Amino acid sequence: MYAEHIPAKGSAPVLEQKPVQMVGEGVGFERIRRITGYLVGTVDRFNNGKRAEERDRVKHCSMGC
Amino acid sequence: MLSSLKKRDSRTVPFTREKIARAVFRAAQSQGGSDYAMAEDIAARVSAELEIRYPDEAAGMPDVEEVQDLVEKTLIELGHARTAKAYILYRNERTRVRERKTRLMRTMRDLTFKDASESDLKRENANIDGDTAMGTMLKYGSEASKQFYEMYMLKPEHSQAHKDGDIHIHDLDFFSLTTTCCQIDIKKLFEGGFNTGHGFLREPESIQSYSALACIALQSNQNDQHGGQSIPNFEYGMARGVAKSFISKLALVLDIRGYDAAPVRAALRAWLKEHESILGEEGMLFVRETLACRLPEMSAAEAENAVDKALELTEKDTYQAMEALVHNLNTMHSRAGAQIPFSSINYGTDTSPEGRMVIRNVLLATEAGLGNGETPIFPIHIFKVKEGVNYRKGEPNYDLFRLACRVSARRLFPNFSFIDAPFNKVYYRAGHPETEIAYMGCRTRVIGNAHDPGREIVNGRGNLSFTSLNLPRLGILARGDVDAFFPSLDDRISLVFDQLLERLETQSVKKVRNYPFLMGQGIWIDSDKLGPDDEVREVLKHGTLTIGFIGLAECLKALIGQHHGESEAAQELGKRIIRHIRDRADEKMRETGLNFSVIATPAEGLSGRFVRLDQERFGVIPGVTDREYYTNSFHIPVYFPISAYDKIRLEAPYHAMTNGGHITYVEVDGDPSRNIDAFEDIIRAMKEMGVGYGSINHPVDRDPVCGYTGIINDVCPRCGRHEGEGIPLEKWRRLKGYAKDYRSPDERASAGDVTPNITL
Repeated sequence: MYAEHIPAKGSAPVLEQKPVQMVGEGVGFERIRRITGYLVGTVDRFNNGKRAEERDRVKHCSMGC
Repeated sequence: MLSSLKKRDSRTVPFTREKIARAVFRAAQSQGGSDYAMAEDIAARVSAELEIRYPDEAAGMPDVEEVQDLVEKTLIELGHARTAKAYILYRNERTRVRERKTRLMRTMRDLTFKDASESDLKRENANIDGDTAMGTMLKYGSEASKQFYEMYMLKPEHSQAHKDGDIHIHDLDFFSLTTTCCQIDIKKLFEGGFNTGHGFLREPESIQSYSALACIALQSNQNDQHGGQSIPNFEYGMARGVAKSFISKLALVLDIRGYDAAPVRAALRAWLKEHESILGEEGMLFVRETLACRLPEMSAAEAENAVDKALELTEKDTYQAMEALVHNLNTMHSRAGAQIPFSSINYGTDTSPEGRMVIRNVLLATEAGLGNGETPIFPIHIFKVKEGVNYRKGEPNYDLFRLACRVSARRLFPNFSFIDAPFNKVYYRAGHPETEIAYMGCRTRVIGNAHDPGREIVNGRGNLSFTSLNLPRLGILARGDVDAFFPSLDDRISLVFDQLLERLETQSVKKVRNYPFLMGQGIWIDSDKLGPDDEVREVLKHGTLTIGFIGLAECLKALIGQHHGESEAAQELGKRIIRHIRDRADEKMRETGLNFSVIATPAEGLSGRFVRLDQERFGVIPGVTDREYYTNSFHIPVYFPISAYDKIRLEAPYHAMTNGGHITYVEVDGDPSRNIDAFEDIIRAMKEMGVGYGSINHPVDRDPVCGYTGIINDVCPRCGRHEGEGIPLEKWRRLKGYAKDYRSPDERASAGDVTPNITL
């Protein structure tokens, strides 16, 4: 994933900023939802009708209430 | 000389006159003919004509269709009208069979070459990973069997109504194989041990074995049925395991401290054989007496200390056992590895110290989440709310009800069931957990029993099959005429009853040995009285035959322009419609002595199908077919703004009518785990307004990189990344410390992390 920059033997030392090693690139968030009674770890596995239903939901109460 | 012929799949095969003659002869035979010479004559004429059309290879070769056309023409010209007709029928039949084969093959091709992301079919059930080898294998079987049943087993009118989307026969792929679900009496199962069908398991001796075996029971039964599995008496069943663990732990403590533990253990075990609980007042008195009498050299203080230590160890073991249960039920496989068992556990009313320890720890283990803090998907937890037991401050299990609210506010489970709802309370007898209402999976409910009114209990019973009505379509077809609506509803109901009974017959002829666990181990009520080769017909009568419905809201919209969230008139009509379905089910139940019931259909896999078909047929009707789904059962549409209180008030009356199952949801904004009182208020409102089963939905998001669980809008509140972004490794290392957070709340707050970690 990441290798320390080692200057080649004999060459002049290269002035280069050490790259910041990053983790988690390309990783999405998981969104757990209840649909037709079952929890599902991610909406990716919902079929089209269920995705639409989840998208349309409105809240009935805010927890500030 | 004509030598070859092109088949439909473009293969070239040798042309033989003989084949034509045989086909014609078979057609003639079917009409009572026996003149093979006539058939040969026709074949000769057809060949002669073909020779003229294709004199040499340069002219090409005929295809099958052309040859058959020529045969038909020749038969008609020569006056063999009846034979010609038979021949045409035969040809049509062959075409139909061929088309069936192609449809199935097309389905198989899609399953093979398309990813779940492109194939709706593969995402029909969100808890099956359609992209895995076993998931696809399951789909092959499922699609092939559905087409087989549609063509060969269903009555044509049922098959047609299902295909057209007038009704939906659920779990059609299992039509001839098994029944839906069962409420497993875990307590009875453990007594004396059981056989999974692959090997015998002894009666468990510790809470950890109890929990492991509970998982195995759920898993084994899942493979005998197509629906979910439920344990109605979870803590009652597990309690004995806690008592046994306590005895072992006490013996261990004594052993380590150099006392002779054997006589104490023997005495306590003997006592437990005669009693339900050992951690109760009476039991603890006996424990102390036993210590004093068997180990006179031990001081009272030391004895007390040993008991405390044993209790502490038992609590720890119980937590670990419950943690293992939650982990197992999210990882163990069923159905050849394509999914995990669909499991539900009901608990909340056992007030013995053992039962309470089980409830407390299963809740805490769920709150802690899986290995990386993920929210467990299974089991579905159902907390049974009962006045006098856990509903009010001061009642013995009220603390556990509060804990259940806290866990649900964080993890979406438990759901809450209400034993005091009038339609549930009629069955309740104090001291008989089998009369406490239990729910299965997403909402199934089985308790009343027309077949055996002496046994109106939940244990060992379940649903046999269910079929749902497309209510919006009936609404659209009635064109605003309510009086025209009810007769057509009646026709559909009759069709569904007929179909349920037809399916029951195919289920009834099955033998005990077809269900090695469900029937072979006596899980299903009364199956322990049957032998391996007995039919299951009689015992199945304890199960329910259920009619469901989809889209009451859209149906009302089509009929009178408003749904039941919009006007009281619509609500009155809505109640009248569902009441009517229930009345018909009750009437059918009296007529047959079978448990016909009404379910508020969960719509798994169905939410999009009906509306798609109706859009094709009727176009886009505002408020009716203008979305990609029909509203779940009697729910107020998800897109309709309404207060939690009104939603509960409007949906509650339908709970009383839907005796085969129901659920009400309230959608909540924000993080309810910061306001448990408000959360509890909503649950109490459900109870007060006569809901049978309900739950609160709120967003639970998780960032797999830093492990944060809560609400994530665009940016993770813990690590500050957007979806897809990375964070510096150094920061990540710092954050990962959160899994075992050693900082004080102040330190956490100053670091900008307001989510408290789980404390046990």
